[in-house]
Amino acid sequence: MAPSVHYHCPCLSNSTTPPPPHLPSSSYSFHPLHTLFFCEECDAVRCNRCVSVEVSTYYCPNCLFEVPSASVRAEKNRFYLFVHKMPCNVLTRRRCARNCFMCPNCRNTLSVVPSDPPESGDGRLAVPISTVGEPPFFLYCNHCRWDSAEVGITFEKPTGLAAQLQKFEDSAPDSLEFERLKDHFEPFIRASSLSSSTTSHAVAHPSSAAHSHHLHSNSITAAASAALARDIPGVGKYNPLARSTSSRGIGVSGRDRSVNKDEMAEYRSRVEIAKASVVGTGGGDADVEFMRHLENVSEVASLDQRWENSWVTSLQTSDLKPLRIPLHSKRSKRCPACTHILIKPEQKAQSVRYKIKLVAANYLPAITVALPHAQKALTEAAKRTLGKSTSAVEDDKTPATGMVAGKTYPFHLALTNPLYDPIQVRLSPQRLNISTAPSKDGPPEKARRPPFVISLPTSTFPIAAFAEAWEYDDDEDMFGVEEGDDFGIRGGAREKDGRSTRSKTVGVLEKRANVTIVGGEVVIGKEAQGNVKFNTLVSYTYRSDDPAPSESNDGDGPSIPQGNKPPEVKTFAFYTVIDLGPIIPREDSKSVPDV
Amino acid sequence: MEPPIIYSKAEFIETDTGNKVSRRATIAGPQNIILGGKTIISSGAIIRGDLRRTGPGHAVVISLGRYCLVGEGCVMRPPYKTYRGNFNYYPMKIGDHVHIGANSVVEAATIGNHVEIGKNCVIGKFTIIKDCAKIADNTIVPPNTVIPALALFSGSPGRFVEDLPESTQEMVEAQTKQYYTRFQPSER
Repeated sequence: MAPSVHYHCPCLSNSTTPPPPHLPSSSYSFHPLHTLFFCEECDAVRCNRCVSVEVSTYYCPNCLFEVPSASVRAEKNRFYLFVHKMPCNVLTRRRCARNCFMCPNCRNTLSVVPSDPPESGDGRLAVPISTVGEPPFFLYCNHCRWDSAEVGITFEKPTGLAAQLQKFEDSAPDSLEFERLKDHFEPFIRASSLSSSTTSHAVAHPSSAAHSHHLHSNSITAAASAALARDIPGVGKYNPLARSTSSRGIGVSGRDRSVNKDEMAEYRSRVEIAKASVVGTGGGDADVEFMRHLENVSEVASLDQRWENSWVTSLQTSDLKPLRIPLHSKRSKRCPACTHILIKPEQKAQSVRYKIKLVAANYLPAITVALPHAQKALTEAAKRTLGKSTSAVEDDKTPATGMVAGKTYPFHLALTNPLYDPIQVRLSPQRLNISTAPSKDGPPEKARRPPFVISLPTSTFPIAAFAEAWEYDDDEDMFGVEEGDDFGIRGGAREKDGRSTRSKTVGVLEKRANVTIVGGEVVIGKEAQGNVKFNTLVSYTYRSDDPAPSESNDGDGPSIPQGNKPPEVKTFAFYTVIDLGPIIPREDSKSVPDV
Repeated sequence: MEPPIIYSKAEFIETDTGNKVSRRATIAGPQNIILGGKTIISSGAIIRGDLRRTGPGHAVVISLGRYCLVGEGCVMRPPYKTYRGNFNYYPMKIGDHVHIGANSVVEAATIGNHVEIGKNCVIGKFTIIKDCAKIADNTIVPPNTVIPALALFSGSPGRFVEDLPESTQEMVEAQTKQYYTRFQPSER
C-alpha cells in the first residue's frame, strides 16, 4: 500500500477534533481529497456522507436515454415513492421502459437476434435479404449465451420489446399482488398525507367529498395535491369517493384522522401463501421434489440470480426471465447545513460537466506523501530491470520499501496550492498518546508510550500561488532538483530525541511553482506495531477577496480610518490523517530480506 | 513527488508531437493510425491499423487522442461484423487522456475522454465507453456493452459497481499528464 493522506470531514459533528487514527471510526471520517466538497457559505468541508442528495436526471445506462422525471414517476411498475412508505421497498425500482434487458443469468445486456435464416439447400447459409433478419426474434446474451427462447419468450418483430413483454410482466404474480396492495393502501396514504399537509383545511371540510371538490380551488390544496401527485403517482386518477366517503363522512371533524387510521381494512393477499408453495413458488413440497431430482447444480438459480425478484420465484434456472435494466441517476448535492448547492450536473445524461461544482480540491492544498527510501529502492529496482517487463519488478519490491521497527525514516509531504493567492501553511501533528497496538499485552507503562514519534516543521511556510502558466514549464525542472537545494526555512525543526535529526530531513526541502515539499521524520519504537498513521492539523492563511462578514454588516464606519490596510487575511484549518504504511515488526525484519 | 518512469532511449521513437512509440510494439498499417500527440505506445503492444474497411480510398482505422497510454502487451483491434452478408471492419475512436493497462485487449467502437482501463481487461467488440468511465483490472466487457459516463465497471461480465466522484475528469487529466512527464529516457 502506498502511503496516503486523507482529509477529515466533521460531518456537522460538534467536536472539533477527529477520532484518533488507530480507531476504526477514523476511516469513516477521513476521505480522499477528490471526493470532498467545500461549502463557501459555511466555509466548511463536506463529504458524500453528509451532503443531501437529490436526483436531477434519470437515464438508462444501456441506451443512455434520458427518462424525464415525470415519466419515471408515472410508470406504473416504477412506483417507488409509494413503495417507500411500506416495508417492502425492494418491490420495484425504476427501470428502463424501452428495449433494454438484462440477462437473468449473468446480468449482461441482452441483444435482440433473429433466428437462423432457412437453409438454402446447398449447405451454405443463405445471405439474409432483410436488414432485421428472420422472425421469430429472441433476446440473446453475448456473454453466457443464455437466450430467451430457452424460457419460451420470442418476439414477432425486433422493435417494441418492452410492450411485447409487458403482458408477461403484468400477469406475473408479483405485479398482480402489487397492484392489489396499491389499491389497498392508496386511499390511506392519500388521506393521511392530505390531512397532514393541510390540517386546517381538513378540519374545515371533514368529508373527503368536500376535499376532492376543493382540491384545485385554493392555493394551499393545489400545492399539496401537486406535491402529493409528485410523491404518489396515479393519485390524480384515483376517485376518493369510491372507498372512503362512507367512513369519513360521519364522525367529529377533529378526530377524523385518527379514526381513519384505525379503520384500515385488513389486507387479503391474492394468493394464499400456504397454497402458493404447492405450485413451486416459495418453498414447500414442490421445491423439495425438484431438489430431490436434481442432477446438475446449475439447474438451481443462484441467490444472486433470484435476488432481484421481489416475489418468491421458482428455484429453477430454466424459469429465469429477462430483467429490465434499472435506471441510473445524475444527482445534485447540497450542503446539509445551509442547503446551498455544491454539485449541480448538466442536464444531459452523458455530459461530465457541472453547472455548479464546489469541490474541496479547489480550496484546500493538496497533500501527497512519499517515503524517499522506498522510492529510491523502487527506482533502483526499475533501473535494474530496465528493458524487462515492469510487471516482474512489482514482486520483489516489498523488503526495501517497508519500515522496520526501531529505525528512523524521513518522509516528504508535498503541498500544492490550488488558490490564485499565495498561502501560509502550518502543520501541527496531533500528539498520539495511545499505543497503536491495543491488543498487545505489554506492561501498562510500555503500552502508553507512543509507538512512533513524528517530527515536522512547526513554523509556518509559504506556498506560492497557482498560476496556469506553471503547467507548461513544469516538464523540465520536475526531476532535476532532487536534493541539495536549501533555500527553505529550516528553523523550528523539532529536535525530538537529539540523535534523530540529521540536519536536512526536517524542514522545507523544496519550493517550485505552487508546490512546497516539506520533510518530516518518523522515529519508530522498538516494540512498535501496526501502521504509522497520525492525525495532523493543517491550517493555512490566505488573502480573502471579500471583507470579513462582521465588517460588512457594521457598515463602512470602522473600516474607513484604516485607509490602505493590508488585504484581509483569513485562516482555514482542517485535519488530515497521514498513513505512511505498516511497520515491519522487529523479529521479522531479519527474515524478510531472505525471502 | 512521483519518481520518473525510466525507459531506454534506444527503444522509443519520439515524434514531433511528442508521441513515444516503442520499437518493440507491432504497428500494423501505420498509415491508418492517428496518434493525437504525447501518446505513449508501450513495448509489446499490437495495434492493427491494417484491418481497414473494405473499399477504395483512405480510411482511419484507429485514432487515439492526446496523453493516451497503450500499455505493454495490449492488443488494439478494430471491431468487425457481418452486416447484410458483408464482412467489414469498423473504425475505433479513442479520446484524450485514455490509459489502457498492460495486456488488455480492446475492440471497442468508441472510447471517450478521460477513460481508465485496467490491466488484463477484455473490451468486447463495439463497446461504447463514455467519458470519465473506469474499467477495473481483469474486467471482461462483453461485446456491444455501453458503459455510461463516470461509471466504474468491474467483473466478468463487467458490471456497474459505483459512480465515480465528480472530480474524476481533473484527476485523470492530471494523472495522465503527470505520467507523460514522468516517462523519461535513461541518461545513457
